[in-house]
Amino acid sequence: MTEIAMPLVLVLLAVAFAWGLQRLGPEAGATWPHRAPFLGGGVPQTHAWQRWHARYYPMTLLFIAFEMEMMFMYPWAVVYIETGTKALAEMGMFLGILSVGILYGWREGVFRWQ
Amino acid sequence: MSLLASLARGAEIPVFAAIGAGGLAPVETLRRRPGLRLVDTPRHARVLLVAGEVDAAHATALERLHAQLARPRATVWWRAPRLFDRGEIADGDDPTGAIRRAAETDEPDQRPDLPPHPWEGIGPHGQGGMGMMGGTPYGRPMAMTAEDIRDGLALDAYRARFGPFLPMLPPGLALDLTLQGDVIVAAGVAAPPYPQGAESDAPGPCAARMLRLMGIGPRAARARGALAALPRGSGMRRRLAAWVDGARVDETPRPLPDALPGRDWTGAALWLASFAPSRLRAACLKPEAA
Amino acid sequence: MIAATLYLLLALPPLVWAAAVFDRIGTGRGALLAGPLRNGAALLLRPVAPTEAPDRLNRLLAPGWYLALALVGLSVVPLAPGLVASDLSTGLVLWGACEALTVVVVFLHGWSPNAPFPLLGAYRYVAIALPAMLLSMFVLIGAALPAQSLSVGAVVEAQREVWNLVRQPLGLPLFMALGLALTLRGPFDYAGGAELAGGTSAEESGPALAAWRLARAAMLVAFSAMAATAFLGGYLGPVLPGPLWLLLKTLAVMAATVAAGRFFARMPPARMLTLLWVVLLPLSFANLALVGIEVLP
Repeated sequence: MTEIAMPLVLVLLAVAFAWGLQRLGPEAGATWPHRAPFLGGGVPQTHAWQRWHARYYPMTLLFIAFEMEMMFMYPWAVVYIETGTKALAEMGMFLGILSVGILYGWREGVFRWQ
Repeated sequence: MSLLASLARGAEIPVFAAIGAGGLAPVETLRRRPGLRLVDTPRHARVLLVAGEVDAAHATALERLHAQLARPRATVWWRAPRLFDRGEIADGDDPTGAIRRAAETDEPDQRPDLPPHPWEGIGPHGQGGMGMMGGTPYGRPMAMTAEDIRDGLALDAYRARFGPFLPMLPPGLALDLTLQGDVIVAAGVAAPPYPQGAESDAPGPCAARMLRLMGIGPRAARARGALAALPRGSGMRRRLAAWVDGARVDETPRPLPDALPGRDWTGAALWLASFAPSRLRAACLKPEAA
Repeated sequence: MIAATLYLLLALPPLVWAAAVFDRIGTGRGALLAGPLRNGAALLLRPVAPTEAPDRLNRLLAPGWYLALALVGLSVVPLAPGLVASDLSTGLVLWGACEALTVVVVFLHGWSPNAPFPLLGAYRYVAIALPAMLLSMFVLIGAALPAQSLSVGAVVEAQREVWNLVRQPLGLPLFMALGLALTLRGPFDYAGGAELAGGTSAEESGPALAAWRLARAAMLVAFSAMAATAFLGGYLGPVLPGPLWLLLKTLAVMAATVAAGRFFARMPPARMLTLLWVVLLPLSFANLALVGIEVLP
């Protein structure tokens, strides 16, 4: 219990420190021209927040497959030497199948900016 | 506080350079000048340096830029006539003294303190909006859906005037862009780049400008390796290779409204930087001449 | 535990300063030692620039979260046998969580000002950082295999005979790629960079910018300490006391990371995405397979 308390204390410390640091400077005169987003003298027609066209969305699906795989990997790493060759073969097969996914994704162009 | 102030006395002065006609090469000489630091955005800057003549058509853009520096702020006109009645003037090869003097002063906004659109008190909550996305909440409309040229997903299009003083674009070039995500779907040239001296077309400075966009310094030994970062067979890679080898590049780009759509922001910035400034200017001027 | 935390908090400011000094070397501006302190002080005396309709809370908190992730990541690193700030049996998992949350924090930092360049940087960074995090976890699992444990202390003890750098030579270079992504520098600085006029920090000024840069430097320290621990034997070493060895190795990794950031050019993001998935990730699989075969009796 106390082991996980220390990271929490550190988080509080860091956030409080960064918060305090940002209160150090003087107040900015918040005029409208000052607040306009920087575009090198140009102006935007709309707010920047939008339904953003994330060009890598097929990649994120592939990412989820690997991220789930990570969860199995943690316990696997602990028992690996005990279990021996069987563990190596199992993870090898698992990674092999996922690698086919990468190759397929590559062929389908998921790493391109859609 | 006094400890901070005494420490800060020896700090470098962060300078944002708005480059006008013939200002590109002189600003390059400031990069290694002790006591100064060129920064990429006015938010990081203390002093706005106008280097080279800026025509009156861009005076409003310059005033907008000036307003985006945090106060206290100051302006230095280096080899440039004043477009508004503030700041120091520097004429010689070295504006450091004028920048130092300016860094002791403060200037108010040149633009009136008005929101881009009236919004306060409008709408059911006074936020300027009507319905989900309508009106001008907090002074600007929301982005609306539009067609996309790549994958056909109709998401929001961001329309804005980029430039004329963006550090990653050739100075003076102002583009009216429509972006879907970070991909340009439509482009128009609002103003061509400024004419620069012949020394700006030399291979060394051209390569250095392009490599800076790729995050590395200009030393030739590394620059060869940097070629691998660009797509194989692309014109950008060929032109950078020529510059690194010390050869001039005299290709003229296709007209920007045809060439930019379909490129992502990084690709577009690199593509523009892969042409000599005079060639790029010629490509932007041609449609008007025809 | 408390003693270790105090040592960490004492060591962090000088190490952050050292990171800033490393960044200044070779820029040709002189004042190597005092320059970062002076520029930092000058930043603290400037105002924070507000933007049009920002997400105020997230904008204020993003640098704090980033610093918090660096600190928590650093806290799982053992300074000497048994001297750890967060003595978890799953320290590597906590470090992995800090890596993954960095993507979220950098995104928030770019999202919150409601301005085009920060937003471009934020979305671009997510694309590159996600596969980079995967890469690092495969590499770290490789470091955990000989230890038969996810505790960072056990990973160090398993290197008593030979460092992981020798046993799994691919590990450290691949892990450095993650370090560059975590600390937003050089070839992996997709959150910022000159082509976005500073990207996620393009609208930041004054103390907000200083806090973000400080957190970024702290993350470099945390990453370097972790790399030194997982691949260079951490506090292990002859003659000198353990914490001093860790300090020296951390400084060495910091210098190497800064140098790598200056040496390699940043690719257009789609090209980097392909490189990560098609070259670097399979390399990390190969690394894991080699380690797996090697540690089996």
